[in-house]
Amino acid sequence: MNQPKKILACVDQSPYADYVADYSAWAARRFSLPLELLHIIDRHPEIATSDDHSGAIGFDAQENLLNRLTEEEGQRSREIRERGRVFLNGLKQRCERAGTDDVDIRQRYGQLLDTLDEQQRDVALYVLGRRGRSAAHTQRDLGRHVESISRKIQRPILTVASEFSEPKSLLVAYDGKRMTRGCITLIAGNAALADLPVHVVMSGKQTNESEKQLHWATETLVLGGFSVETAYLPGDPEQQIMRVLNDREIDILVMGAYSQSPLRSLFFGSKTNDLLRASRVPTVTVHL
Amino acid sequence: MTNIRQEWFSNIRSDLLAGLVVALALIPEAIAFSIIAGVDPRVGLYASFCIAVVIAFAGGRPGMISAATGAMALLMVTLVREHGLQYLFAATVLTGVLQIIAGWIRLGELMRFVSRSVVTGFVNALAILIFMAQLPELIDVPYAVYVMAGAGLAIIYGLPYVTRMVPSPLVAIVLLTAVSIYFGIDVRTVGDMGDLPSTLPVFLVPDIPLNLETLQIVLPYAATLMVVGLLESLMTATIVDDLTDTSSNKSRECVGQGVANIASGFLGGMAGCAMIGQSVINVKSGGRGRLSTLSAGIFLLLLLLFFSDWVRQIPMAALVAVMVMVSIGTFNWDSIRNLRTHPRSSSVVMVATVIVTVATHDLAQGVLSGVLLSGFFFAHKVGRILIVKSQSGDEGRLRTYTVLGQVFFASADRFNQSFDYKEVIEKVRIDVSRAHFWDITAVSALDKVVLKFRREGADVEVIGLNEASATMVDRFALHDKAETDDLLLPH
Repeated sequence: MNQPKKILACVDQSPYADYVADYSAWAARRFSLPLELLHIIDRHPEIATSDDHSGAIGFDAQENLLNRLTEEEGQRSREIRERGRVFLNGLKQRCERAGTDDVDIRQRYGQLLDTLDEQQRDVALYVLGRRGRSAAHTQRDLGRHVESISRKIQRPILTVASEFSEPKSLLVAYDGKRMTRGCITLIAGNAALADLPVHVVMSGKQTNESEKQLHWATETLVLGGFSVETAYLPGDPEQQIMRVLNDREIDILVMGAYSQSPLRSLFFGSKTNDLLRASRVPTVTVHL
Repeated sequence: MTNIRQEWFSNIRSDLLAGLVVALALIPEAIAFSIIAGVDPRVGLYASFCIAVVIAFAGGRPGMISAATGAMALLMVTLVREHGLQYLFAATVLTGVLQIIAGWIRLGELMRFVSRSVVTGFVNALAILIFMAQLPELIDVPYAVYVMAGAGLAIIYGLPYVTRMVPSPLVAIVLLTAVSIYFGIDVRTVGDMGDLPSTLPVFLVPDIPLNLETLQIVLPYAATLMVVGLLESLMTATIVDDLTDTSSNKSRECVGQGVANIASGFLGGMAGCAMIGQSVINVKSGGRGRLSTLSAGIFLLLLLLFFSDWVRQIPMAALVAVMVMVSIGTFNWDSIRNLRTHPRSSSVVMVATVIVTVATHDLAQGVLSGVLLSGFFFAHKVGRILIVKSQSGDEGRLRTYTVLGQVFFASADRFNQSFDYKEVIEKVRIDVSRAHFWDITAVSALDKVVLKFRREGADVEVIGLNEASATMVDRFALHDKAETDDLLLPH
């Protein structure tokens, strides 16, 4: 099996890019992995820019038109490319100032989701902004890409929504099911995080089974060298978790993401989306 | 969902404006070729409306313009003359049905046998046909017609240097119409050519006996119409693909053309297909999405319904000018310059396609002869990849012939002549393991060679026939994939 190799940070030209860069730089330092800043350029051949309404075609009409369109599109691509390059370079320097040295930058054409999916094999952690460039002029409080990406990508994804502050503790929203157990194993296996205290929080109905699960989580983490604090908070999971996040000033939330089918989420809403909307804390979601 | 948004609504303003510009270029072609087909302009104009609107939804190439075309109209002349309009409607519907079937069985993939030279020949022949169709309006007419047509062309090509904000063909038509009305110039106008649409098209079932005899009359026409319609549509789709750097769904386009023609036939229109010139105009004016095609069709009908009194008074000379423009814009002028530099064989293919088409007025025959010729030239070229080496051995008792290259019908003779039958020799060994035997002709040529040597009293041994004839199995690519890598090279 191929060992995951890099941290991939997706940035678009929005204020979130800085947050993404800072957090991904932090992660790269933590895990001693190379960082790649990726800027994806959407192409829109379905949109014309012509303002020629003369409707006349003369000698070599086809060739001339083809040459003109090629020239115009080439010009446009060059401009976008150059703007993207300068933008990425700025972010790279920002990361380097923060002390992360191994930073690569890359621009690619294509759709966001497909591009991220193609790279899965080489990526240990994805970092993206919870909202993007369209945030300023849409009412959405969660970027429309986040859910589709989380469902498709089987790697941990760190989504950030606010300015960087050095993370000092973790909270795992735990329900004892497969995906969140995966989160626990993932954290326990990362010695690089062992100095951060981990809070494991369960909520909802308390049963024998859940106690057993909580015990398992504690044991696994302690075995990994972590200091663990567990809590059982009956009530609405979203509210309870938000409360703990605020009370204990937790810096990173870890949770399983979108365990329900898309159809179920459509009708009953998704807990993942609720939490991502409600909290400003950087969140690692895991969809296995 | 994203697809619908992208294909319809991502380019609204440009699409609508382009549709308007294109509608102006659809009218002259529909009118001119209705007349040539021997029907009222109404038939062509209804067809253009129906086809443009239907193909906007059903087609596989957003941004391509389809309507009543010259290429199709030229094929209907005798049908209309001998059997009348109702049979034309029936043929149109049948054409549509055939095109849908062609789409389902992916006949479009046969387009890969149509070489670049044939496509160029097709385009040039089309331009020539469009131009020739204007000649009746230019021969034996008052002096004023020449002046008006010339002035029209001058406006069409001159105005863009001043402004590109208004369609110059529109300006030419409006100005010439105004002048001819104001000065009362006596020239032929659109109104003289026959009925124009006065209402929305209505549904009608062709009034023909539904029997085998009718089918016998209609089927040959429908078959030709299907072929020409799909040829021009798929070629135009490729052109639009190249211009916009996007891809299209060719099978869906075939089916879409079929649906559009069926609709046209039932709404009193004639068969049509994609239009190269108008599609180029559309892309040039910024049309990219399906909305441009739809709006072209709708603007066309609106123009005719609301301005019919004015449309009636447009002098034919103005439409001639527009069609001459379309023909100039469609013609591939590069191909003339390339005649000297391109390989002789591809020039011959191009010119043959043009000549056959112009002579028969049938693009299907032109393309067929072009395709046959290019196949012939290809076979001839590949047939030259054949080397036979010989080497004597065993102290002069044995001669070994080693055959390298392609043996098939075009090279079998050369294969035969490569052996020295006069040599007095005890034993002949023919090593064909590094040759490819492509057909039965190759095997029988080898048989002949063997017999000839035997007749001279020599023992003959053939080596590697199995390897050589592996290529004869029709689906050898499935048979052994690794082999195909260097299939055309000597092993």
